[in-house]
Amino acid sequence: MLEQLKDTIKKALPELDFVIGWGMGFDALHATPLFMYEPEDVDKLVWGPLNVHNLATYLPALKGRKVGIVVKGCDSRSVAELLQENLINREDVVIFGAPCRGTVSLTKIRKVIGNTGLIEDVNYADGTLTVKAEGASHEMALKDIRADKCGYCRFPNAVLSDHFVGEKRAPQVEEDTFEDLAEFESQPFEERRDFWMKEMDRCIRCYACRNACPLCVCRDHCVAQSRDPHWLSQQDGVRDKFMFQIIHATHLAGRCTTCGECERACPVDIPVLLFKRKFTKAIKDTFDYDAGLDPEATPPLLAFKANEDNIKEKEW
Amino acid sequence: MAKYLKKDDLGSWLKELGETYKVIAPVEEGDAVVFRRLTDERTLRIDRQATQGPKGVLFPACEELVSFKYVKDPENPEKTKVEVKETVEAEPTLIFGARPCDARGFDVFDGAFTKCAVKDNYYMARREQAIVVSLACTKTETTCFCNWVGGSPDGTGGSDVLLTPVTGGYLVEAVTDKGEALMGGKLLSDADDARQAEAKKLLQEAKDSLREAPDFDCMPEQLYALFDNMDFWEKQSAKCISCGACTYLCPTCHCFNITDEQQGKEGSRIRSWDNCMSHMFTNEASGHNPRPTKAYRLKNRVGHKFCYFPDMHDGHIACVGCGRCIKSCPVALDIREVVTAAKECRLPEEETSDD
Amino acid sequence: MPVLEGRELRIIGFLCNWCSYGGADTAGVARFDQPTDLRIIRVPCSGRIDPLFVAKAFMNGADGVLVSGCHPRDCHYAEGNFYARRRLEVFKNFISVLGIEPERFEYTWVSASEGQRWQEVVTKFTNQVHTLGPLAPVPEISLDRLAATETAQP
Repeated sequence: MLEQLKDTIKKALPELDFVIGWGMGFDALHATPLFMYEPEDVDKLVWGPLNVHNLATYLPALKGRKVGIVVKGCDSRSVAELLQENLINREDVVIFGAPCRGTVSLTKIRKVIGNTGLIEDVNYADGTLTVKAEGASHEMALKDIRADKCGYCRFPNAVLSDHFVGEKRAPQVEEDTFEDLAEFESQPFEERRDFWMKEMDRCIRCYACRNACPLCVCRDHCVAQSRDPHWLSQQDGVRDKFMFQIIHATHLAGRCTTCGECERACPVDIPVLLFKRKFTKAIKDTFDYDAGLDPEATPPLLAFKANEDNIKEKEW
Repeated sequence: MAKYLKKDDLGSWLKELGETYKVIAPVEEGDAVVFRRLTDERTLRIDRQATQGPKGVLFPACEELVSFKYVKDPENPEKTKVEVKETVEAEPTLIFGARPCDARGFDVFDGAFTKCAVKDNYYMARREQAIVVSLACTKTETTCFCNWVGGSPDGTGGSDVLLTPVTGGYLVEAVTDKGEALMGGKLLSDADDARQAEAKKLLQEAKDSLREAPDFDCMPEQLYALFDNMDFWEKQSAKCISCGACTYLCPTCHCFNITDEQQGKEGSRIRSWDNCMSHMFTNEASGHNPRPTKAYRLKNRVGHKFCYFPDMHDGHIACVGCGRCIKSCPVALDIREVVTAAKECRLPEEETSDD
Repeated sequence: MPVLEGRELRIIGFLCNWCSYGGADTAGVARFDQPTDLRIIRVPCSGRIDPLFVAKAFMNGADGVLVSGCHPRDCHYAEGNFYARRRLEVFKNFISVLGIEPERFEYTWVSASEGQRWQEVVTKFTNQVHTLGPLAPVPEISLDRLAATETAQP
């Protein structure tokens, strides 16, 4: 399948400035975005559970250039959302899709093997990832170490693509039941607050969550760094960090496809996707809407009904 | 004379030191390991490199420089005075469990904050009261490259005491006079030759496990020559997403921002970490930005570490090779690759023939 | 120090200029008894309310936030409150993940003539927030620093 994907890209490459895919990074466990300019760059392409990045993040900055992009199912939803918001032109982007079996969570792998800095070799076959580190070999079922988002994935195949390579896969689940959220919210309010205080305290304000997010499209004009209005100070206290996460999640309400880049990018492992999950559930419950499926759809927060179906207002 | 500390005594030793010093050490927090004040509730984690180094102990992510308050003059209510109070805070602090690369980061800070014409009182106050107890590396990670930039798994730069893990405990060696003061503890015994030999062997193995170091002598010249080659920098920075993970986790990055944060009539002037990957970095009040795109900014980051800083500080490279910027980068951008590419980049004829 | 310190909570009200602010005024002119916890901020329209105003109020120490605008179909700007309703409803859902009880935030519709209704809304909402008590503050500084200042001033 990978060879077929490479051939497809090579065929399309002459018409394009470049194609963005994944190559291997600094060791056998870490993939890295690969910008393919020449046919020989395409030979470095990889496909598999290590392709953790959502490459759609790069697209808005490339608007106006003709580029190709390789997508997993979740990534393709970000592309659809960007199209809906007119942040990219459909005719400028060539989308290469392939079926996805899920991607790994490096944090989970670290929990199994202890230190992901000592990797010697990695192999993946038939749902099992074998990692050799420090002379020991660890076999892990992808199911156990995949990113949480893959567990409730409904779109393993690209929702839109120009070239689809391979056989379409069946979704993991038919409906997302938001069990992760229910579990978190089974705690009393005070414990949830305390949890976030501790987690946010560790935040280094690097904004990797924001910059990795394909839908954080304000880029250099984020309110987080604005002095006027002064939403956030330069303090490193919990309050400003927490407030930023609320801003991020709120700005993504009805747009977020829960691709999980925010959480994956976080260098200090703060589970910030949970905020977006909550909004996604609220949007789904209230408006029966999924972001990133239809570029022609009107997002629910840009519309209204005089009599809302699922909003029950306070009696008083 | 090298000392020996039993592994089981480490906790007691740190507790003992805690009576004199505020002890900061790598502890588990969520899924990360960060430097925090060591308390009974926290779990010490020294089996792997901390997610974030101890740089914030001496150069905090945010610190108040002065506090200010506007007050009305009671004699003349139309007049408002500003009361300003300088807030230099420092207390005896012991940083435990820094890796040699982390400690070498303090060397770079010293160069920038204490050895230039303008001394930084805030940093100096903390530095003077701090004692650094480092832990030598007997294992190296795939992202480690301290040997490329003048460091080593048992490097002592920036440290006051160096611990080396050996069977059953640690070899404890004082590096500075400050460190010598810690060598009198009751829990420390004299280290025998066998332990010293074992430490030596383990450290040699660690050194041998590192990738061969390229020669970086030519780097400043090469980077100056590449200064206007934006095509090179655009390709190198293509995958960068302009976040600040690399700079904030870097033991040597020391750029800062100063802002006034005011609420009502009171406020403080704070210094916080700046980040050269951000659009706001060196953005001028006029709106002009000398580093308008990520390509310019990556050039600055690499240039500052391998060219401009060494130029100003006797060739000392402002990178310690800890590898955090590589392993914590959301897109795994590898600074080793950028520097190697810069080194190997063949320059157009007319540019090289100039000088 | 306010007389009611300890007995009063901090509740922020964002009221639209055309209906609810007028309604609050009507309640005042009619001298209806009301709890005094609410601090009113007047905005042009409930559609002006960014849910983040609510978040910011909570971050800065509010124990409850009330938004009030014109009744649906009565918006001075025709549809501002329709958009507001969707945003605020979703946001009300959201805050529970932060550990903030959704009951600390309500949005409601009160017209300029409904002084009595305004009295009822303020009274009920204030009671609702009092049942929950004060919201633990979100520290402005880091937790280690907070711990240090707390031990310094026992």
